[in-house]
Amino acid sequence: MVRLEKLSKSFRGRPALSELSLTIERGEIFGLLGHNGAGKSTTFGMMLGHVHPDAGEAFIAGHSVQRERALALSRVGAIFETPAFYDYMSGWQNLRFFVSLSGMVSEDRLKEAVRMVRLEERIHDPVRTYSHGMRQRLALAQALLPDPEFILLDEPTEGLDPEGIHEMRGMIRELRDQHGLTVMLSSHLLAEVEVLCDRVAILDRGRLVFCGSWKSGDPRWKLDLDDWPRARTIFNAVGATLTEPDMVTLPPHLDMADLVTSLVEAGLKVRSVEPRRATLEDFYMEHISR
Amino acid sequence: MKLFWLQLKGEMRKLFARKRTFIGFGAFLVFEIVILFLLRLDKVQATFRSVVEKAGYDGLEYFSGLTIAFLVVVWTVFLLEALFLALVAGDVVSKEVEDGSLRMILCRPVSRGRILLLKGVVSCFYTFALTGFVMLTALVVACLYKGMGAMFIYEPFEKVFVFHEFWPGLFRYLLAFPILSLSLCTITALAFCLSCFNMKPSAATIITLSVLFADFILKSVPFFESIRELFITRRISLWVHVFDTRIPWEMMVENFAWLGAINATLFLIGWMVFEQRDFKS
Repeated sequence: MVRLEKLSKSFRGRPALSELSLTIERGEIFGLLGHNGAGKSTTFGMMLGHVHPDAGEAFIAGHSVQRERALALSRVGAIFETPAFYDYMSGWQNLRFFVSLSGMVSEDRLKEAVRMVRLEERIHDPVRTYSHGMRQRLALAQALLPDPEFILLDEPTEGLDPEGIHEMRGMIRELRDQHGLTVMLSSHLLAEVEVLCDRVAILDRGRLVFCGSWKSGDPRWKLDLDDWPRARTIFNAVGATLTEPDMVTLPPHLDMADLVTSLVEAGLKVRSVEPRRATLEDFYMEHISR
Repeated sequence: MKLFWLQLKGEMRKLFARKRTFIGFGAFLVFEIVILFLLRLDKVQATFRSVVEKAGYDGLEYFSGLTIAFLVVVWTVFLLEALFLALVAGDVVSKEVEDGSLRMILCRPVSRGRILLLKGVVSCFYTFALTGFVMLTALVVACLYKGMGAMFIYEPFEKVFVFHEFWPGLFRYLLAFPILSLSLCTITALAFCLSCFNMKPSAATIITLSVLFADFILKSVPFFESIRELFITRRISLWVHVFDTRIPWEMMVENFAWLGAINATLFLIGWMVFEQRDFKS
């Protein structure tokens, strides 16, 4: 669905992005992570044709954003962290204006998008009277019009209250699960990305330091035993690794149930076994600090 | 084409839905009333009469609605209308960049050139709308105050000194509307061009006004009399010749060719800058 090929950009001689290449498959929810100034906004900007790359190209649905912008963006929607609507116009007038830039859209389609983001009751009020959450929902409605296949979300939950975050998360899932959209999002809320995304890319000072499924790492297990020296001998024999005093990582062929059986058969008392999967935050910090 | 009209309608709605757009309309109405009030003063009327009577005409006959409407327009247009045109056209791109709405527009599959063309057309429309409003309200208010009567035109900078009966005068006044509006489009084009650069909306307005005032001052320097045609403000002020006894069409056409070329150049510069710019939060 999306292919970025060696995108590079410098601002006043300072590199903002260096040879970024990645692909996003159709139907995926893809997360773009990185500290402030890592190059996330520049990447989004180049994917939408807002920023001209110094080198490289971005392709959406097979069309180059740089050479065939109108074609490439014909099925793309986008939301920014602070959606800038025309405050003096109503939500409905804003929607009609933005949609008119993409082509003709029926009233029914507009109403459907408004219904989907649950703004029916306030859609004819001026946007200046909207809360931040309502603006975000209006932004989502405009991104869903006329009929996108791919949605870019730049910090979609920024500034939202817990209910708003929950609601937005539900809507993003709905976009993929019910409407089959491909979603790319950036967020500083790693817990958010952890819950939503299938794969992530991590940028550090304009360089891609990781791209893939962060969940693929081997799970670690926290054990509570009565005799660690004897346990260590058994771990060595089966190929398990003691990473911390009470933390074990298993080789791919070994099941924890088999290890527990071996320990019990050797006469050890196994009081508890607890899986400890690394959080995205652990994973992110590990890659950023390398 | 249908889509272009739809998009143009959207741009128009955006412009005319903001209160700021109407500040100019309100300001002109107030200013017209102030001028009419000042023209009621005996000293002012005596000065007017003496100018007309020196030419051998009846001062009272020519102190009419049409004459006052012309005076209101000629006194307000250059400074006040230039200010509001620079304010609105200077905002048209840069304010949207500053607010972030332009990034949302640029997420749509529409070319930057088309966006700029829409905004340019809307800015020109605003120029016509504001000029039309000024001329119409000046005429209505002045006619209500002084009634219909013959027209006296005196414009010392352009050396226009003519008298018209009511109907021919009204015809010239109406003809002046498109000519003046087209001339003022150059101020709009300058502010519009500057608004495409990476600058604050207020900077685009201030630079436009600075350029105009500097141009006006230079034009007024006696040593530059022989090259007055090179100054924009001189070109803009040629509209008053529509009131000449015999309209100098040849000069008018040549003047519009100049102004048209300046406008096209300014639009092209704005477009090239806009195309090359990076828009980032």
